[in-house]
Order: sequence, then C-alpha cells, then structure tokens
Amino acid sequence: MKIPEVIPEKYVVGTDTPRMDGYAKVTGKQEYSSDISYPDMMWAVVIRSPFPHAEIVSIDTSEAEAFGAVVLTSKDTNPYLYNERSVSVPNATFRDRRLLPTDKVRHYGEPVMALAHDTEALAHKAARLVKIVYRELPYVLDAEEAMKDGAPQLFDKIYLGDEEVLVHNNKGVIRNIDEGNVDKGFAEADHIYEAHYVLDRIYHNQLETKSAVCKPEPDGSMTVWCTTQSIHGTRSLIAKLLDLPFSKVNIKKVTLGGGFGSSIQMNTVIPICAALAKKSGRPVKLLSSREEDFYSHHKYPTTFDIKLGVTSDMMITAAEVKALVDFGSHQIQPLAYIGCTAGWFASLYKYGSNIRFNGTAVYTNKVPCCAMQGYGNPQINFAIESMIDDICNEHGWDPIEFRLKNYRTVGDEFWGQGPTIRSIIKTSGVKESLIEGGELFNWKERKPHTEKTGRYRKGIGVARGFHTSGTGGPKEGEVIDYSSAYIKINEDGSVDVVSPVMDHGGGTWDALAKICADVLQVPLNKVGMSPTDTRTTGFDICTHATRGVYCGGAAVEHVALKVREKLLEVAGRIMNEDPKRLSIYRDDELGQGVVYLIGFPDKRMTIEQIAFHAKNYSWGTIAYADSYRQKNCPPCFVTHFVEVEVDTLTGDINMTKALMYGDCGTAINPKLLEGQLIGSFNRGLGYTLYEHIDYDNKTGQLKNRAMMVDYKTPTFCEMPYVKDCMVRVCDVYEPTGPFGAKGIGEAALASVAASIGNAIYNAVGIRFTSIPITPEKMLKALKEKEENA
Amino acid sequence: MMKLHNITLTVNGRRYDLAVEPNELLLNVIRDRLHLTGTKYGCGIAECGACSIIANGKLMLACMILAVTASGWDITTSEGLAKDGNLNPVQQAFIDKGAIQCGFCTPGMVVAGTTLLMENNSPTEDEIREYMRGNYCRCTGYTSIVEAIESAAIHMNETK
Ligand code: FES
Ligand code: FES
Repeated sequence: MKIPEVIPEKYVVGTDTPRMDGYAKVTGKQEYSSDISYPDMMWAVVIRSPFPHAEIVSIDTSEAEAFGAVVLTSKDTNPYLYNERSVSVPNATFRDRRLLPTDKVRHYGEPVMALAHDTEALAHKAARLVKIVYRELPYVLDAEEAMKDGAPQLFDKIYLGDEEVLVHNNKGVIRNIDEGNVDKGFAEADHIYEAHYVLDRIYHNQLETKSAVCKPEPDGSMTVWCTTQSIHGTRSLIAKLLDLPFSKVNIKKVTLGGGFGSSIQMNTVIPICAALAKKSGRPVKLLSSREEDFYSHHKYPTTFDIKLGVTSDMMITAAEVKALVDFGSHQIQPLAYIGCTAGWFASLYKYGSNIRFNGTAVYTNKVPCCAMQGYGNPQINFAIESMIDDICNEHGWDPIEFRLKNYRTVGDEFWGQGPTIRSIIKTSGVKESLIEGGELFNWKERKPHTEKTGRYRKGIGVARGFHTSGTGGPKEGEVIDYSSAYIKINEDGSVDVVSPVMDHGGGTWDALAKICADVLQVPLNKVGMSPTDTRTTGFDICTHATRGVYCGGAAVEHVALKVREKLLEVAGRIMNEDPKRLSIYRDDELGQGVVYLIGFPDKRMTIEQIAFHAKNYSWGTIAYADSYRQKNCPPCFVTHFVEVEVDTLTGDINMTKALMYGDCGTAINPKLLEGQLIGSFNRGLGYTLYEHIDYDNKTGQLKNRAMMVDYKTPTFCEMPYVKDCMVRVCDVYEPTGPFGAKGIGEAALASVAASIGNAIYNAVGIRFTSIPITPEKMLKALKEKEENA
Repeated sequence: MMKLHNITLTVNGRRYDLAVEPNELLLNVIRDRLHLTGTKYGCGIAECGACSIIANGKLMLACMILAVTASGWDITTSEGLAKDGNLNPVQQAFIDKGAIQCGFCTPGMVVAGTTLLMENNSPTEDEIREYMRGNYCRCTGYTSIVEAIESAAIHMNETK
C-alpha cells in the first residue's frame, strides 16, 4: 500500500469513548470530599440560627469545652467581610458576610458557631451543651415589603470592593441599562404587550451535600478537600480568612457530587471547617446534613415586568424589562446576576437595538441565593419566550417564523456575562434547529387549543434559548476569565495533563484529555488526567458560565500545541531534520503517536522513542505550562419542542415527548452531550412543574422542613419514555473553540420552562405567567376559564 | 458512652466483628468503620436511595437500619458487585450507556439495578421506572439509566 505524503491525523474528539471515571464510579471507588478521612480526624457540627433575624446576645461554650469540644465562635475568626463568590473583579464585588457573624443572624439556619469533637456523636452531644442567647428581631420575607419604609433592615452598610456603601430600604443592588432609544422604539410599534412573570425560588438539591475535610500540615499549611467548582477561588478566600499565604493553602481537586452552581462560590462550611482545623491542630471533617444544605443556598427568584413593542410585520421594535430579585440575607453577587440577566435578555432578540433594563435586588431574611444552571437565563427566557408565544397566538403568526425574523445571530453582538462582556456571534444553529425540529415535530399540523376537548388534552410548544460559553471577550470586563494547563510527555511517550479545571460530571475531564490526545496524536489511553490541586496548577477561575470545555479546553489545546512544537523540535534534532518538515499521526497498530518526515514517511520515530532519547541524552522533559484567555464568549444555542398532556380532571401535566436541539459547536463527547441535554430537561421539568421553596411567614422557616420528600423533584416516572426523549446536535463548527467546540451545560436548561408553558397553552388555552405550574394551579385556572366562558 | 453491642457483619464476602453503639446507623458503620465509602449519604432519612445496599439478597437503605439489628447479615455494597475485577452487567451497561454524570447516585443506582434484575430478569420500561423511582438523580434525567438496565437485562438473558 502506498503511504500518502501527509498522513491524515486521527481524532477521538467527536467520538464516543467510555468515560474515564466510569469504572471508579460504578464500583463505589470514586472519592468525593465527604469520603476523605484521617485516623485522628475530628468531626465538626455547625450550630445554626433558630430564628430568621436575631441579635446574638451571648454564647456560652464552657460546658461544651469542658466536655472536650474545640469550639469556634466569631471571637476566634477573622472579622473580614467577604463574598463567597470570587469570579468578579474586586471593585464589582459586594462584601457583607463574616466567617461567623459577630452581631446578628439574618436567616433561619445561618451558621452561628461551630465545634468539633472526636466523633460525630460526641460533636452532636457537645453542641447540645452550648448556650446561646438571642434577641429576636422583626424579619421580612418579601421583597416588596422589604423595600418599604420601616421594614426590618438587614444591613446598614456593606462594602463594594474597598468602598463603604450604605444600604437603604434593603436595596442591595440597583442596576439600570439603557441602549438605543426605547421610547422611539415603542412609538414605532403597532402593538404593545405587557405582562408580569413570577419565577420562584428553588433549591439545587445536588446529591452530595456541601462538605469539607481540612488537614493542618506540619509545615503550617492547610490541605482542603471540599465541594467546590473552583479550587483556586476557594483557595483565595481560605487564605484570606485564615491569614495564610496562598502557598500555604492547598485545595485538592476532588470529584464533586453535583454542582449546578451551588459551589461556584466557596460554601460557607469550608472556612468554618478550616478554622476549626487550624484551631485544633487536627484534621476536621464537616458534612452538611440535607437539612443544613437546604438552608445554605437557593436559586435566585425573580419577578419581571416585560414590555415589548411589535410591528404588524412581526418585528420587535423595543423592549423593556423591570426585574425584582429577592436574594435573601447575603450577597453572592446579585450585582452580577442582574447584569447577566440583562445580558441574556438583550441577546435573545434584536428589539431594534432599543432596550431598557431596570433591576433591583433586595435583602430579605431568607437563605442567600446563588447561581443555579443559567444564572438568570431560564428566568428571563421563560418571560420573553412565553410572551412571544402569546403575541404569535394573538396574530396567528407562526412562532418559528417570528423567532427567525427577530433572533440575534451571526454578526450580531452577544453579551456573555452582563453588559461589560460582549463579543460578536460567529456561529449559530438556531435556524437549523427551528426548521428541522419543526418538521420532526409536525409543527405545521398542530391544532389550536380551541379544537381540543375531552379530559386529556395534548399540546405542543416550542421555545429557544442559549447560554454563553465562558466569560471571555475582546476586552476584559467585570468577570475574570482565564485558565491554565501543564502538559508533559513522559519518558515512555505517555502524556500527563495537569489541569485546574473542575468537572461536575458533564465530562469536562474526558473532553480535556481528548483535546490533548488529538493535538499530540497519541491514543486516548496514553493520556492521564493528573490528580491536582492548587499547588500544582496555574489559575483557573471556576467551572461556571459553561466555560469548562470552551475555556479550559482551549488552555489545554494551547499548551498541547506548544508541547507538539517542542516534540517536533526534539525529533528534528534526533532525526537530523528541520522540525518544520516533520508531522505527527496516530498509529493505532503501534498504539503510538508517530513523528515522520513529510514526503518521506519511512523516516519516522514513535513518540516513545523520541522521549526515550531525550531522556538518555539528558535533554530534559518535553513539557509546557501556560495560561490562556479566550477572547470570545460564543453563545451555545438550544431549542426545545415538547408535547404535554393535561389531565383536566386532576390538573396533572404529563410530559409525553421532548425534542432537544443543542448547538455546542463540535460535540467532543456526543453521548455525554446527550446526557447534558436530557439531564437539563429533567431539571427544567422540575423547575416548571414541581419545585418551589416556600417560606412559613409565621416562623421564617422552610415549609417543607428541609425534607426532600416535601420538595418534589422529578423521579424516573415523570420523564417521557426513552424513545420520546429525542436529542439532535446542530452541525456547527465554532472557529474560536478548541476543535470547533463551544459549551452546552447551562444552555440546555434555558428554554425548557417556556417550551412547556407554551405547550400547556396549546393544550388548554391557559397562559401561566408563574411557575411551578402545579396541579392545584392548573385546576384553579381551568375552573376560572370555564366560569369566564 | 452507651453500652456497646458486639455484632458480626459479612460485607462483600468479608467478615467483620464490631462493637457498636445501640444508635449507630449501618450507613455510618459501612462508611466510617469499614471505609466502604461507595455507599453514600444523600439525606439520611430514606428519601434518595444513595445509600442502597443488598442485604440478604434484598434491596435496603443503609441509612434506615441500626447496625445492631444487622448482626449476622450478609451485605453487598457497590464495591462488592464486581467479581475479580469484572464488572457486573449492570455496572458495565452504566458505562456503555453513559448513565453516569457526577456519579454520586451511581453506586446506589447500580445496586438497585442489580436487585431489580435479580427479581425480574426482563423488566419493562414501566417496571424499571417504578422499581427505581426511590433512587434520586439530579444529573442524568434518568433515561440513560433506564437504557442501561434494559441493556444489562438483554445481555444477561443472552449469556445465560
Ligand atoms: S441516604 Fe439513605 S436514602 Fe438517602
Ligand atoms: S449522576 Fe449526579 S446525581 Fe446521578
């Protein structure tokens, strides 16, 4: 057989490979932070506030200490005010919380103090010996109420960066954005639409509860295993709060049992555990119970007042959004949340470039809110995509055609992380997904709700959305974005990838390994993902904003290309050839990467031989380390077509079919991508139909008493059957992404709620402007509809 | 200190003699004393299935059992499903079908999937959904897990 001059490279990117951690995960051997233990380890317990708002008058720990506990109160801890979320630059970060509160507690379940003892049982016994005197304060659980004069105030002053900021009427953040000429835009419209939407507070319910194990080392440093989406973000805060240099805090990269945004910020239990370890001089384990976890973080609830102006030829001319966010008792960056929500709104349609967004975020005596898959995107998407459905229904316009006329696409600007981070869209699978999806779903044959009768009524709906891939842009903005990697070729030709990037289960580590394997043309099984920590890795901001593959993967690609260059240079020296005339291909028979002379493929050496020579000639390791910043934030798009069946007798809504389109550029792990889309659909289903966090106004506690059974999430049974969950991947190659890839993770949820809401409208002719759409709500609405008819 | 009770457990074929407190949970004994951390804590009160184990051939939740009551039991945890490094068909199918994401539910899921197929060697999709519904997963959306169990059943029936 004649060998061609340039031997084609082979790629594992885009093929299905068994996930690297699969064996460990099915055999129970994968290690999570809660699995770490040491022989002389202590167990910690956090004592939490039994009131939604109270002054801490006194804490008496003498009996607990006499019982042998090591106690931690605010007296033992750094009074520095911090913000758990550290992805924004300091002067765009509000700071309002301490490691342990000095003056008062501001929500039921807030940590007051902590202690540790030799066993979990002893720690719990010791906790019962602590006496805390509180003076109860009036509390407020509603955002509108909180803004009124005379409402209980949570804070008088907080900090923005180093600047003191006074808080008036509990307004934590006000952020207004105005672009184009909104009034002129509305004047040009033929129709004006206005509506109010309510998106409820929900809970992440990631299966691993927030936890930490901290171990003081003999050299004065602290090693930490914890639930986090960012080892470097956690390190910077632990170092600050423990008053240690970064070099003395080592956060280990351990597998995370589900993130969904709940661990972008440093979980509050981590510094508590670290401070206890420092004080006791022993390793300490702190596991949150499910109940404690329910009282740690929630998803941002938001209410929107939306106004759209539309011409008779289906063009949106202006849009205005007023958003009110009840973010709870501490700021985990509602400033960024509001900015991002404005960005998702601005980037969904063109609106004649006339947009106005007024956002207010308010303190209440509730659990602090943080990111949860989409960071405002599912919220605003539900409002806008529902309203567009109404507009189209009223005029008899095709919702697909309407969207295609108005959506932001290639050449338009996209706001990847609020108003300060923007880039130009280069690729889009939106048209493909709407048109093909419409055909697959028999969109044209759908009947209006008026033609549906009987107890069970089916309806179909469509909605589209997106998320950003990372938070990079041509100019740096409020949010920090870069990643790092270190790659080395071992002396036997195998490769180690040292990366700070966290994987929450979506397959990011597999993607990074594949990118490296393909750049170096080595078989995937020769690439190892090193266990790493903050000591051994360069900085990565966080696995958030759907940036793991697009930004973390780009850093790996960048570094792997440098290693490839070095490899060819070394090969050139050995082979006595110009490295520019050398190339590499993967030889599967040899199970090796092979470097050869272009045009003379017989002149070749395996990577193993090259590495072996480099060692024996004492030339050093073929390796490279660097950081890398993506200068774009391309949107990854999704479209959802769904079919629901409403039982008009019970109010139950049954999901019968779903078609999910994902445009993630190149699908690096196709099977895992499918998992991302279906998993997100499942969470979206919970968000739309079941989940809500209800507060008891009389006690300031959660009505479900922090029980999973009383916080309904979808089980196996609520999903459509396997054959009715259809996934399609758009044919898109993103030129700025590693091997053409963008993200997908958060996008996959963006339009689920709106698509279900629109399908429900198509089934029964009722528009729900708030979620969840529970059977009770459905029955009430059906009854009202009947009475009005 | 409460009075300790001597118990004997057989876990994954190995015998353990232990002295436990009367209120000690089997879950904590398995995790903290035997260091078999594949059995997970997700809720502690029978809401999530992360602590699923096989006890005397039956699916059980380790968080709902006092260790003293388990004396003499023969227990298999996720660590004991593979024999001589060979995954059981359910475990293998989870990998093949991409039924794993964060993996925190996975040990409990493969344990429950295994007992399901012990009780019913060709379950329908509805039977799988019904049997597995007590095992919570926040990541996958469940359909890949259903597919994995279906394919494990087919594989087991073919190789019988
Ligand atoms: S931990 Fe046992 S069922 Fe959740
Ligand atoms: S894979 Fe994460 S909970 Fe199931």
